[in-house]
Amino acid sequence: MSDDIHALSGAYAVDALDDVERARFERHLAGCTACQAEVDSLVAAATELSVLTEATPPASLRAKVLADIANIRPLPPLTVPREEPVDDVAAPTPAPEPTAATGAEPTAAGPRDDELGERRRTRSTRGLARGWRLVVAAATVAVLAIGGFTVWRQVNTDPSRAIADQVLAAGDRTSTAKRFPDGSSATVWRSESLHKAVIVTSRMAQPPNGKVYQLWLQDPTGHMASAGVMPAGPDQVVVLEGDASKATGAGITVEPPGGSGQPTSDPIALFSFA
Amino acid sequence: MDPMSRFSVVPSGDESPEGASRPVQLEHLLRRAATGDESAFAELYDAVSARLFGLVRRVVRDPAQSEEVTQEVFLEIWRHSARFDPSKGAALSWMLTIAHRKAVDRVRSAEAARHRDEGYGASTHDVTHDSTSEAVVERLDAERVHRALETLTQAQRQALELAYLGGYTHTEVASMLDLPLGTAKTRIRDGLIRLRDTLGVTL
Repeated sequence: MSDDIHALSGAYAVDALDDVERARFERHLAGCTACQAEVDSLVAAATELSVLTEATPPASLRAKVLADIANIRPLPPLTVPREEPVDDVAAPTPAPEPTAATGAEPTAAGPRDDELGERRRTRSTRGLARGWRLVVAAATVAVLAIGGFTVWRQVNTDPSRAIADQVLAAGDRTSTAKRFPDGSSATVWRSESLHKAVIVTSRMAQPPNGKVYQLWLQDPTGHMASAGVMPAGPDQVVVLEGDASKATGAGITVEPPGGSGQPTSDPIALFSFA
Repeated sequence: MDPMSRFSVVPSGDESPEGASRPVQLEHLLRRAATGDESAFAELYDAVSARLFGLVRRVVRDPAQSEEVTQEVFLEIWRHSARFDPSKGAALSWMLTIAHRKAVDRVRSAEAARHRDEGYGASTHDVTHDSTSEAVVERLDAERVHRALETLTQAQRQALELAYLGGYTHTEVASMLDLPLGTAKTRIRDGLIRLRDTLGVTL
């Protein structure tokens, strides 16, 4: 994920982007599962603030709303399957309109009325469109027939990225976040059913010179098993090696290059799964 | 001045054990509304209208416009009720997102620029509560959010408040606070992350 655009997630979550920035960020969002998870969680946090501004509306409003809805037909659910998230590789170009996405909603909704649907559809269409373009270049292609429409779907060729995407989208995912005094943060997402954990870092400082960050999974006896070495870079999405389903926690230590068999220093962060 | 400190909080005893039933209830009402069930939507309105209207009113300020926007918000919720995706967050959060977006759109439109603050009277203290157990629960929620806000730096709180409750873009926030461009968005994001982690927000 690009460092610069990723930093817009907070402003996006509180509708503090102008139209151009929003369009740009949404293009990025369509292909960045880590950003999607972050945005969802930041939106949830922001909306909590509304408990501070409660105000009872006039009774007449209730009557107006209830009179209005009697004349409005609720839209059908979106039936297009979620696209495979794909990497953000190139500047988006106008792409062919995927028939399945538009076919699902023939309703001519007013632009002001339909914004949320628009935002969600944008994610969906953009993802599909990008997938379609990548198909031309990439080798692995799957053809799916859905309700009479044929949809091209790019199959993610990076297995680690695919696992990370699945964990971040898993129904049983849980997360544990840590913030560091320098403003960086790390979140470990775990899906018990997928047996996997993923760490998402944001603005992590470089490890001390000649050292690396090593990841660990802790088993119920307290033993730490290596879960691999973090790649360099401040913003990472890394799948922890090993089975995370029975782990009671994860940790990060500073180790010599290549990593160690056992932690040789105190962890800089511990994530409890309890 | 820190406008968030204007909200007074009633001190209370222990933590409330609520929360488990209400979100599920809202989701259920939303699902019924999606099938065209107007009485379910009326129940939903009663459960969330103070939250939605209050947020819209805080951003839009003008009472008449706030009512209009809130009306639009509820119609959009009704129309899109079948599109609510519980995997992306709670039902209340989804509805508040729609309300916030519409409120922000309203204040950013040219017409609203003229009206802004015009009709905004002396009272900023229209945080009203029914004297029911529900209100007690709301106060506990408010207190929890206040405590979480206190963990933010003053700079983060100020930027977040102008963006979320003021409806300003991060560029406008930077300019208002005399910050280098790009600083406000970082403060907003850092503030939100801290708020999220302190509140223990989970999806």
